[in-house]
Amino acid sequence: MLRKLRISGILLILGLLVEALSLCWNNALSFMSFVVVGGLFFASGILLFLFALVSSKPSALNE
Amino acid sequence: MEGLNHIWLIGIQQILDPQTLVFSLIGASILLILVVVIRPSITVSREGKILVFLAFFILPIIAAGIGASEHMASAEQTQFCLSCHIMEPYGRSLYVDDPSYIPAAHFQNHRIPPDQACYTCHTDYAMFGTARAKLEGLHHVYVDWFGTPMNPIRLYHPFKNQVCLHCHAGARSFESPAHMAMMDDLKSNTISCTTSGCHDTFHNVDKLNQLKFWKPLE
Repeated sequence: MLRKLRISGILLILGLLVEALSLCWNNALSFMSFVVVGGLFFASGILLFLFALVSSKPSALNE
Repeated sequence: MEGLNHIWLIGIQQILDPQTLVFSLIGASILLILVVVIRPSITVSREGKILVFLAFFILPIIAAGIGASEHMASAEQTQFCLSCHIMEPYGRSLYVDDPSYIPAAHFQNHRIPPDQACYTCHTDYAMFGTARAKLEGLHHVYVDWFGTPMNPIRLYHPFKNQVCLHCHAGARSFESPAHMAMMDDLKSNTISCTTSGCHDTFHNVDKLNQLKFWKPLE
């Protein structure tokens, strides 16, 4: 559970950094990097977080 | 007292500015995620679990949503459209020193917002016009990167009179007997503003080398 949470956190941070960088420029390349690269990191980070939630045993966080 | 209120108002406006908001949210999300990644033991408590849900789900989704909306807004900028190499001549055509060139005349005389020049004339003012324009924009980027753009570039659909009438209908300068006589045909697109021989000089990028250009005063 914690390992998945860590990986998910790193993916989300990467997604957020890509989003922040892409917002600094106004061109098609930054838009595409936001949609493709940022979106990929974001989606995988959030999906992994949700997967960690549903796949954890009730006591996993307390261990 | 009024001065103080004014300062407060400016402060609130700055906080609510989408750019500031999205960067603050991104910063807050990264900070909270880092706290959880570095000290996972905080997830044991109930408050910690709420923090994780906020940091890993709620805040990033809000940040991504506002970021996407900001990107959508900036995609309406002339600078954005001209950032693709293939569009450069069309950007140059806006500076042609000839009033018979419709896009140049509109751009140079601010009949359209100069910073949204492409979007203003190439969007559909129907209910889902903006969404359709954005989807077509995404298609342009896809074709420019992964396909072969058509040469010369052509519009997907014939130019709709509705785009011209969006601004010109009801304007005094438009109330000429010639326009009024054909108003029904213009509204129904039976007669085209652009291809019926009345206003038919557009970007003409293949002739740019033979034309003079306007240089705006700094």
